[in-house]
Amino acid sequence: MTTDAQVPVKLYYEDVQVGDAIPKLMKSPVSHLQLVRYAGASGDFNPLHTDPKIGELVGTGGIIAHGMLIMGFVGQLLSDYVGPTALRKFGVRFKGMTRLDDVITCTGTITEKYEADGAARIAGKVQAADQNGDVKVTGTFVAALPRRS
Amino acid sequence: MFDKSKVGQSFPPFTIEVERGKIRELALAIGDDNPIYQSKENAQAAGYPDVPLYPTSPTTFAFWGNRKMVGQLASLGINLMRVLHGEEEYEYLAPTYPGDTLTGVMRLVDAKSRQTQGGSMDLLTIEIDYTNQHGTLVLKARQVAIVRE
Repeated sequence: MTTDAQVPVKLYYEDVQVGDAIPKLMKSPVSHLQLVRYAGASGDFNPLHTDPKIGELVGTGGIIAHGMLIMGFVGQLLSDYVGPTALRKFGVRFKGMTRLDDVITCTGTITEKYEADGAARIAGKVQAADQNGDVKVTGTFVAALPRRS
Repeated sequence: MFDKSKVGQSFPPFTIEVERGKIRELALAIGDDNPIYQSKENAQAAGYPDVPLYPTSPTTFAFWGNRKMVGQLASLGINLMRVLHGEEEYEYLAPTYPGDTLTGVMRLVDAKSRQTQGGSMDLLTIEIDYTNQHGTLVLKARQVAIVRE
């Protein structure tokens, strides 16, 4: 089994303060092709996300993006910030539908620094919103960070 | 109104092998071109033992690993055309890399009904626990599905 010691450090505990902003991530506009690719990658083939006719039938008014794609965008924000193997917990609530051509920006803030089982942890809140400021996803995360000393 | 006697029900285990190609495919579909997700060589060059899981890789374990999931949810009485994804949360408990084989067990852990102006809705909490080939619990996934009546 692999231990945490074998992975690179992107961020040290001492370098993070409560209230710090996570460097924001602005994504390219959501495209139909991206939703088709995401369906294949994730295995979620619900036609609501790929077939415009179904969207009209069930009253969503065209294609809506997979909520999990938007959680993936927020995952990229956290992957870039702490590195994927530092994450201990990551959860979101889905607040609104994302449509084609929406431009999603992911942001976050550090809310807590603490010790758990003798190890250093940070916690934060994250969100994804579109070009009009409409929030699509809110969430929280916990990451384990090494100390410098 | 949801039949609450189904709370606590679990489904037969499914297995999924963690695959490098599925991690790369997910990262690219999300639009994340971080080289650590692209190949073992790139990941090792960055200091990882192998390609790390994407933060939202667990969604691929559920959809690709449990091809009976849609039928299992339907057996709980969930009409999938009336389901909204409310929440998604992961706890990453132990390092997981390509080549690991995970066994997932899906359980309905909670069901709540809420009255709304338009009628009522059920909030169903579904958890999947993943254990690796060494018997270690490595990942917990929790989802809240909103079922409109």
